[in-house]
Amino acid sequence: MASILETRDLKKYFATQKAVDNISLSVAQGSIFGLLGPNGAGKTTLIRMITGIFYPDSGEILFDGKKFDPLNDVAKIGYMPEERGLYKKMKIGEQTLYLAQLKGLNRKDATKKVKEWFIKFGMESWWNKKVEDLSKGMSQKLQFVTTVLHNPKLIILDEPFSGLDPVNSNLIKDEIFNLAKNGSTIIFSTHRMEQVEEICNQIVLVNKGQKILDGEIKNLKQQFKENLYSIGASAIPETNGSAPFEVSNTMNDETVIKINDGKSTNDVLQYLLQQGVVIHSFNEVLPSLNDIFIKVVEGTAHARQFQEIKD
Amino acid sequence: MNKIRLIIGREYLTRIRKKTFILSTVLFPLLYLGLILGTGYITAKSGRKMHVAVIDSSGYFTKAKIDSLNLLDSSSRLSLVTASASNLESNLEKSGYDGFIVVPATVAWDKPLPFLKLNTTHTMSMEGTAPVQSKINALWMSIKNEKLGIDAEKKRILEQNNIIIVPENIKDRKANSGVATAIGSVSAILIYIILLLYGSQVMMGVMEEKTNRIAEVIVSSVKPFQLMLGKILGIGLVCLTQILLWIFFILIIYNVTKLTGKADAMSSVVGGIQDVFTSSNMPLILSCFVFYLLGGFFFYASLFAAVGSAVNEDMREAQSLSFPLMMPIIFSVAMMTAVLKDPTGSLAFWGSIIPFSSPIIMMVRLPFGVPGTVPWWQLGLSMSLLIAGFIFTTWFAGKIYRTGILMYGKKPSWKEIIKWAFRKN
Repeated sequence: MASILETRDLKKYFATQKAVDNISLSVAQGSIFGLLGPNGAGKTTLIRMITGIFYPDSGEILFDGKKFDPLNDVAKIGYMPEERGLYKKMKIGEQTLYLAQLKGLNRKDATKKVKEWFIKFGMESWWNKKVEDLSKGMSQKLQFVTTVLHNPKLIILDEPFSGLDPVNSNLIKDEIFNLAKNGSTIIFSTHRMEQVEEICNQIVLVNKGQKILDGEIKNLKQQFKENLYSIGASAIPETNGSAPFEVSNTMNDETVIKINDGKSTNDVLQYLLQQGVVIHSFNEVLPSLNDIFIKVVEGTAHARQFQEIKD
Repeated sequence: MNKIRLIIGREYLTRIRKKTFILSTVLFPLLYLGLILGTGYITAKSGRKMHVAVIDSSGYFTKAKIDSLNLLDSSSRLSLVTASASNLESNLEKSGYDGFIVVPATVAWDKPLPFLKLNTTHTMSMEGTAPVQSKINALWMSIKNEKLGIDAEKKRILEQNNIIIVPENIKDRKANSGVATAIGSVSAILIYIILLLYGSQVMMGVMEEKTNRIAEVIVSSVKPFQLMLGKILGIGLVCLTQILLWIFFILIIYNVTKLTGKADAMSSVVGGIQDVFTSSNMPLILSCFVFYLLGGFFFYASLFAAVGSAVNEDMREAQSLSFPLMMPIIFSVAMMTAVLKDPTGSLAFWGSIIPFSSPIIMMVRLPFGVPGTVPWWQLGLSMSLLIAGFIFTTWFAGKIYRTGILMYGKKPSWKEIIKWAFRKN
């Protein structure tokens, strides 16, 4: 599949940090892409370069197959930063129109789009209200609308669900799927792994400014699996040296086992059947993204340290 | 370009529609006029006319003289009485007099009379007794004149002995220094107020975008420089609108009063304005005023924007960082008196050339005449330096702004801010 966005050896150093250090990635058109990483990993800096807010020190960005041209291409990008906000004293309808026009829509199209979205999200009555009258969740919804209003090819959402209740989270989530189905590409930056697992096809994990993981979620899970299986059975007998597995965890009537090197699932089943165990279920346990994340990032200091950068 | 126009439109419309704009546009001139007229009115009304009894033992002060003087000058009243001083002193409050003066018998018309005591029941200021003092002096003068045989005609000739020095610039005979001083100081003060007022508006506007966290949303659509420029131009337009409205008001008052021609207090103020209009090169001064107002605004506004972008929510941070910007503006106004005294001196020259002070100092000098006081080359140099100055400050501030607007956390020092400006992208 063609990629909408590609970065090659992207680099951005600040006075005391290598914020982004040689990151290359490729985002497929129409995919939902997860950009993950612990706090201070360089996600925001990377996004700011992709949205034309920062210039990279070196490396290049390709947007839709061509060299990224911030002046014109930003109109095709919708960005909802983590530090988001709106003019508090401005009327909501007017403000949404203004932001849409800044993205290059003319007044007529903008008005039409804003009305459509307001109806879709049940916000028609908000038009003449001010942002300061809205609750946090409501203004979050409004912020999402202003981000996607101009029908961008690439939508970048930084922690889009923070502060939303489950109902509104689902509303936004459905909309994200919808947008992807209609051909938009979504980059989704977060450190909430369960959401990523639910939504994304592909992820990149950055830490300390470097890319440490890249791929489709299902492949990554295979890559990080530890031969763990969960067995639902009457009772697992005590294992001794002859068993082809070790019990790693027991929970109610589920037991998680780790198959020893060189042994297969069939060896395990055979062994259990020989012992007269009645088996209800036998499933492979794949690591959750959370496990992978913690495993990969483990060992990193909790807070990123400042360092001297010598050019 | 289209985007800058959108930003200008937003900045302009949201501000123009605010109640505070409408109120300040209407109220400021009213307050200003009210202050001038009100104080004059209050002083005129509140002055109490003193009624003073005169006990004369010398025989110089006759009833006829005092009565004729009372007719001429009604700011206080004198009455010749025959009661004794001790009697009057004990009954002063009941007698209806505010005080009494005793002229001793030893007074001689050809000897100096350094002072007379005005006995009152309460403490009086110099200002309160001034009308009485001038009346007694007039009386004393007429007594002396009579003794010397000076009649009304000779007196008239004597009184014509005051010579006024009128400065006239031989290069520019039309220049009127009284009017020039008035125009110069009014326009300088106006520019001063507007620079501080609208400069801090720009700063607050930038801070608002930063604290509302909308800055990053906007700079993902437009360049930070466009955002800054749009804000400055938008607020500049608001400022221009306000000034034009004020000029419009003045013109209306000017024309209305010219038609009715009433001789009340209002039209005398406007009459003064009419003098100003006719006796100086108004088109030049007005257009220079608008130029220096906007030039000064653009020169400082971008720096105020840079400060606004560098600080966080905290108002105190903004105050301490913007103080160095306000210094030259305040200093220019402080120099005004010295420049008014000598509008061609070297302080005036340099002050009106250097862009930090030229918007104020040049406007002080200009009404004294072009090219009489300010040669054309100086005006040209000052204008081009101001233009170059604001192009530089806008560029410089743009660099700071770009970094500052997305920077949260600790307040940067001026040293760090300057570093941002000279860092590569």
